[in-house]
Amino acid sequence: MTTTTALGTARPVARATAEPVVRIRDLTKRFGGAVALRGVSLDIRPGEVHALMGMNGAGKSTLVQLLSGAYQADGGTIEIEGSDRPGLTPRRARRLGVCTVPQRRELVMALTVAENILLGDLPASRSLVSWKSVERQARQALRRLDIDIDVKRTAGELTVAEQTMVEVAREVRRGGKVLILDEPTACLGAAAADRIRALVRTLRDEGVAVVYISHYIDEVLSVADRITVLRDGSVVHSGPAAATDAAGLVRHMVGREVVSRRPERPAPSPAVALTVRGLSHGRDISDFGVQVRAGEIVGVLGPAGDAQSRLFDLLSGRRRPDTGELEVGGTAVPFGRIPRSLASGLRCVTGDRRALGLIPGLSLDENLMLATDRLGGRRLQRRSDTTRRAAPRRESYGVVSLTRNPAVGSLSGGNQQKVLLAKWLETSPVACFLEDPTNGVDVAAMADIHALIDQLASRGVAVLLASSSAEEVMRLSDRVIVVSAGRVVAEHEVSAITHDELVATALKGHAR
Amino acid sequence: MSITAPPETPATKNPTDGARTAGPFRRLSGVPHAGLIAVLIAVIVFAGVETDSFATSTNLVNVLRQVSVVAVLAAALTLLMTAGGMDFSMGSNAAVTTAVAAQFLADGRSTAFTVIVSLLLATAVGLVNGLVVTYTDVAPFVATLATATLLDGVALLVLDGLSVSIGDHLSALGGGKTLGLPNLLIVAVLVLLVVGLVMKFTVFGRDAFAIGGNEHVARLSGIDVNRRKLVLYSLAGALSGLAGLMLLSRLGASSPGTGGLQLQLTAVASVVIGGTMLAGGFGTVVGTCLGVVLLGVVANALNLLQVSSYFQQISVGAVLLVAAIANQLHKKSSPH
Repeated sequence: MTTTTALGTARPVARATAEPVVRIRDLTKRFGGAVALRGVSLDIRPGEVHALMGMNGAGKSTLVQLLSGAYQADGGTIEIEGSDRPGLTPRRARRLGVCTVPQRRELVMALTVAENILLGDLPASRSLVSWKSVERQARQALRRLDIDIDVKRTAGELTVAEQTMVEVAREVRRGGKVLILDEPTACLGAAAADRIRALVRTLRDEGVAVVYISHYIDEVLSVADRITVLRDGSVVHSGPAAATDAAGLVRHMVGREVVSRRPERPAPSPAVALTVRGLSHGRDISDFGVQVRAGEIVGVLGPAGDAQSRLFDLLSGRRRPDTGELEVGGTAVPFGRIPRSLASGLRCVTGDRRALGLIPGLSLDENLMLATDRLGGRRLQRRSDTTRRAAPRRESYGVVSLTRNPAVGSLSGGNQQKVLLAKWLETSPVACFLEDPTNGVDVAAMADIHALIDQLASRGVAVLLASSSAEEVMRLSDRVIVVSAGRVVAEHEVSAITHDELVATALKGHAR
Repeated sequence: MSITAPPETPATKNPTDGARTAGPFRRLSGVPHAGLIAVLIAVIVFAGVETDSFATSTNLVNVLRQVSVVAVLAAALTLLMTAGGMDFSMGSNAAVTTAVAAQFLADGRSTAFTVIVSLLLATAVGLVNGLVVTYTDVAPFVATLATATLLDGVALLVLDGLSVSIGDHLSALGGGKTLGLPNLLIVAVLVLLVVGLVMKFTVFGRDAFAIGGNEHVARLSGIDVNRRKLVLYSLAGALSGLAGLMLLSRLGASSPGTGGLQLQLTAVASVVIGGTMLAGGFGTVVGTCLGVVLLGVVANALNLLQVSSYFQQISVGAVLLVAAIANQLHKKSSPH
């Protein structure tokens, strides 16, 4: 997702001389029997982008939560600006200038940008709000960080990238000296991610200490001054970004080499298993067509939020397109009817597992068996029985949980994604539509998921893969369709095109 | 405690949530409904010490007999609210049922005819609620509040403003006993038990959790959400009808103001005190039972203490608030 643009910029080097604003020493944290952090030490300096990397469950989130006061450490110290701060609470951390911008946006969506930036601090004389002054101050806060957003727009109508920027501006205005950004570019397109990275560089130049959490290795290498890698709750690597490379980082994170290479798959059968013709829906998608043979993987590549991200709603039956035809395994399937879509053997796996994929309050096993049990017309359900039937899926999809059968909402993103895939791919599909199947998962989980998709195609399932990542499409697909602004702009056999050519095609389409 | 139906025991949830708050209820956090049970015990001990008649078996059985009607309504409501639904018209539906059944019996119709027709009528009312909520996207709160008002009026219309006695019809249900226990209580316990088992052991029950948890996902997973909702609202209607008949059999007459929104609010309060989420996705019948009993015990204790009726209402409200707060503190201190 990140390598579709030129990332490199000159990185000022000799900044490490500044006194650390946060000094973390021997921090430990246990949750029940599980050790989340075992003696982590870290220095965070002003004017430096400090990237925190690690697999899902390596301890990044725990570290951030200790630093922001959400949890108390079991051992070790956190020094902020030279003095030890035991018993940190979120409020106190914020007052000391440690601010977090979490993955999920925390804006009041119905209020304007200006109100959001000044939330809790509206300038008022004799309890009457002076709107002129609100807007002026909000504009100032944005301008200071070179952000160009109209302060009168409501937060809900901003793009995700813009919402992130507003949130960052708010924290900086409140006096944030240490800004923790948790995967700020997840789910963003290349252009939007670029804007966020530019903002991070501005913050650094303003003298803010930025703690940057990201799974994207190229991005981290381009934006970070210093990289710390956590594995199993310990620091396994910490040093200047210039002194390491992608392969080294992966080795540190995973503890072994990770190979996600195209395996030899049996040639697709000549029978077409999934046909889409003339699919049009408003301005989102127009005249989209594809034929996928059994055992074939066809990638649909486009900028995040483009035509490929509408396919889930249309193919799953959630929405009825304006025009179009769908055939699965040779039989026509009407649009706009979820039961018919399911009955045809088409399985659509969403890229938005929170909203459309899993039921967070239900247990892991129940989520795993949710679709299977309903499609199989089951009537009775016993917990022990569900657990027994779900066990092979946990095993083959590598879902790990600390407790026996937790609510699925409490699992890490990578695990949730595996549960989502297992839920659908084990329901004997004829054809599968997968949307961003490795969204927000770490490198090892990504390799596992890629292997699972390979196996799926090897079993003779037609796979249509929608993605905004050129790497993923190159790694998995036999053919790739490039979409831009709702239209198909190119179609290639993957064997006949290089990664760079593909990226160039995608960008060219974007420019038109 | 076999009929509780949480997704899993709260004690073994994600450990990262475990250390968030160490509240005063920390040690009890493994016990479901600990806050509620504590309040219930406090009320019972207080009433037992302060009055002589509270702790007699006659009185306790009488309390349980009195709460039977609310218990049946609350059982249906627990299932419906777990599925993210809401029905404010159940008490009014029960009122219409008592009125219609009383008129039938007063007209000399047979008991069997009366029971069957009034149950069918109540189910039909529930189905109409379901159709409105499912196919028009009107919020259940609004739609059923409207039908509640409407049905309250219908009940008055059917009774023509007069009290209608049913003689000794239905007395086997209202006054009879089996093995020393009032039949009303037995019916209520059976209903609670069946709803509890359905919620835990049937796919229909689990569908309710899925729909309440995330309706989109439920739909995409092949659950016929619309049909499920219709069944759930019809079930709520049918059990309202049953509650209406139980009420009629206990009172021996239907008068203006029997049942209605007041009865409904007691049922909603019991369910919410019992920990079922208003937003859906979580609910337990055991919690509902505790909520029903708590409200019943408080009302009874205040009666025995000869507290003036004004103070009774104030006290019931206060207990409600305390129970809800205890529940919330307990929920917060439990992991997840």
